[in-house]
Amino acid sequence: MRVLVALLVALVATSARADVPPPAAAAGEALHEDKEFGPVILIESIEITGNTATQTEIIRRALPIQPGDILHASDRRMREVRFKVLALGYFRDVTLGMHKGSARGQVVIEIHVVERGTFVLNRLWFGTNELTPYWIGTDVGERNLLGLGIAVGGGLIFASHGLVQGSRDQWAGELRISDGALRGTRWGANGALTLVHGSEAYRVAGTSGTAPDEFRAFPYRRFGGRWGVTYDITTLARLSAGYRLEEVDTQLPVAPTQELPDGRVVGIDLHLRPGESRIATAQLGFDRDTRPDPILPHSGGRITATAEIGSGALGGSYNFLTVFARYEHWFPLHDERHTIGFRLAGGVVIGDADRFDRIHISDVDQLLTPRAMGLVLSNAAPLDILGTRPDKPSYGDLGGTATVEYAARLFRGIGKNRVYGGDLFFGAGLWGLAEAEDLRLRDRALWSSLPIDIVADAGVRIDTELGIFELTIGNALGRLR
Amino acid sequence: MRALIVALLLVTAVARADDDDLLQVQKMKFVERGDSLYVTTSIGKLFDFEAFQGLKSGFASTVAIQIWVYPKDSREPIAITTLVRSAVWDIWDEIYTVKTCKTCPAQKVKSPAEALKLLTSVDDFPVAKLADIPYDDIYYLALRADLNPVSKETLTEVRRWLSQSSGGIDRGGVFFGSFVSAFVNPKIAPADRVLRVQSQPFYRPAPKP
Repeated sequence: MRVLVALLVALVATSARADVPPPAAAAGEALHEDKEFGPVILIESIEITGNTATQTEIIRRALPIQPGDILHASDRRMREVRFKVLALGYFRDVTLGMHKGSARGQVVIEIHVVERGTFVLNRLWFGTNELTPYWIGTDVGERNLLGLGIAVGGGLIFASHGLVQGSRDQWAGELRISDGALRGTRWGANGALTLVHGSEAYRVAGTSGTAPDEFRAFPYRRFGGRWGVTYDITTLARLSAGYRLEEVDTQLPVAPTQELPDGRVVGIDLHLRPGESRIATAQLGFDRDTRPDPILPHSGGRITATAEIGSGALGGSYNFLTVFARYEHWFPLHDERHTIGFRLAGGVVIGDADRFDRIHISDVDQLLTPRAMGLVLSNAAPLDILGTRPDKPSYGDLGGTATVEYAARLFRGIGKNRVYGGDLFFGAGLWGLAEAEDLRLRDRALWSSLPIDIVADAGVRIDTELGIFELTIGNALGRLR
Repeated sequence: MRALIVALLLVTAVARADDDDLLQVQKMKFVERGDSLYVTTSIGKLFDFEAFQGLKSGFASTVAIQIWVYPKDSREPIAITTLVRSAVWDIWDEIYTVKTCKTCPAQKVKSPAEALKLLTSVDDFPVAKLADIPYDDIYYLALRADLNPVSKETLTEVRRWLSQSSGGIDRGGVFFGSFVSAFVNPKIAPADRVLRVQSQPFYRPAPKP
């Protein structure tokens, strides 16, 4: 451990080598030329080559210039051509050329693209713990189906069951389709189908152990779909709206109870209707991301918010409203070699929400195994670091996290060795999860009734040509607890 | 744990070799004139063969230069200057139009070598007020030149697809967690090429009484 600490300290120290002071508030000229100069040209035609899978029309729609445009050769739109095509995400490289047209002053623009694989491995789930002896699954996608610019994807996960009475093997599958720019417009559409065959464990005794006899489980089945539209307000901000309809079939225990450490027996609300029920919701969301590098962010920020309303008027059995939001901002330090990031995330569930739409403890505590395709894979209690409320709830209707993260740049490259960069990071903060009722009434001292605790994580993030990888404490614990 | 350390060392070693942000030391000429300090140097190394060929593409080539002067044993610059130069090839008239600063009049030159010289020569350029440089104190000049820099907004736009949610069922992952995924992940650099140079140490000798 000492060796590791020494190594990490050395890496941070070298990353902060004091070679050149940062260019603080840059005096003089802005670093990007905006004034147009040079010859005025008429774009006679645009030739696109190199695309074998992607339809030419998809590329053409993304271009900021069109045949017939008259502009300076140094026009901003000319400089943006390459990046607008790269922003599609389907190409490894884009090179531009310009040739003489059929008459003086006219030019032919040549755009040569090099396609890349657009198959994406979104997630890989695996791990083991007492509740689930093993789970394995994956989520994959193809971002450019048949060269049409349509993304399809899906996931499948299997989780074996442990010794908790009433539990069963769990599995879930999902299929998705989306087009972020319908016919090149700002409008997008998406849809998904989900089938979950699961079982949920709930505590019947004790407060923090994971012994099978402290839990019971009930089976459930969810089947449904989501359909939505998106609208790009700007290139960095998006509005979304959607509708979700799910059929839930469950066999709930009759009058489930939990025996508390003091011997009292209390009823448990599992937040589901027995037998068949339906979840129908309408959703509205907003997303704005200004981080130049979302993988190793050192500047910029992101805000995401969504509100979802479930109602009988929409065809559902549950009437509720959920509001979730997340905000993060990164402050660069020392020429962006270091950064401090602040993250706030939280949500509130109002009304009679179903169990699956409530906030699970692993949503807020990164040191627990996260839900995978809706399946709860762990019954571990969170680490009790602050000595606050010992029996923290597994589900809540008010929850969130507030964390501060420091990241130091270990290296940056241009990908010659297929590695773009790496960061070492340390983060810590607070998480909290509560039932609204717990906040109104308490039967113990304020501190020991607070449903909050510390969350911390540290590790290395690496951005490579093959993908993004995290070697972190949270990632490791999320596969074992 | 040992395996983790070895993996970390390997990755770091590989990536270190790929770090394109290394500083080069370059001899520069400093002159005091009036109340300013002037520097003469060249950033010709910014252009390799491919970049030089790019001057004839018909698209503008832009060089963004940041210069700062800072004292030894400090990271606080006493003066920062930036300038932007651009050249564009007229494929019909076969002539380069070069602007060596935003407000400078455009210059027309015939050969790519002349265009390159205008883009990369820093001749007698004022970099600091003499009043800010005490006699006998040691200073450095650092210069960063970016060829065709890409604005942060553009970088954000190009990589935006990475952070767009796949729309999965796990709301927790979207709102509270991070993501790890694998795919062919091309990334554009913030500039076609970057050159970072530092001058030799210099000082202003005190005038003889």
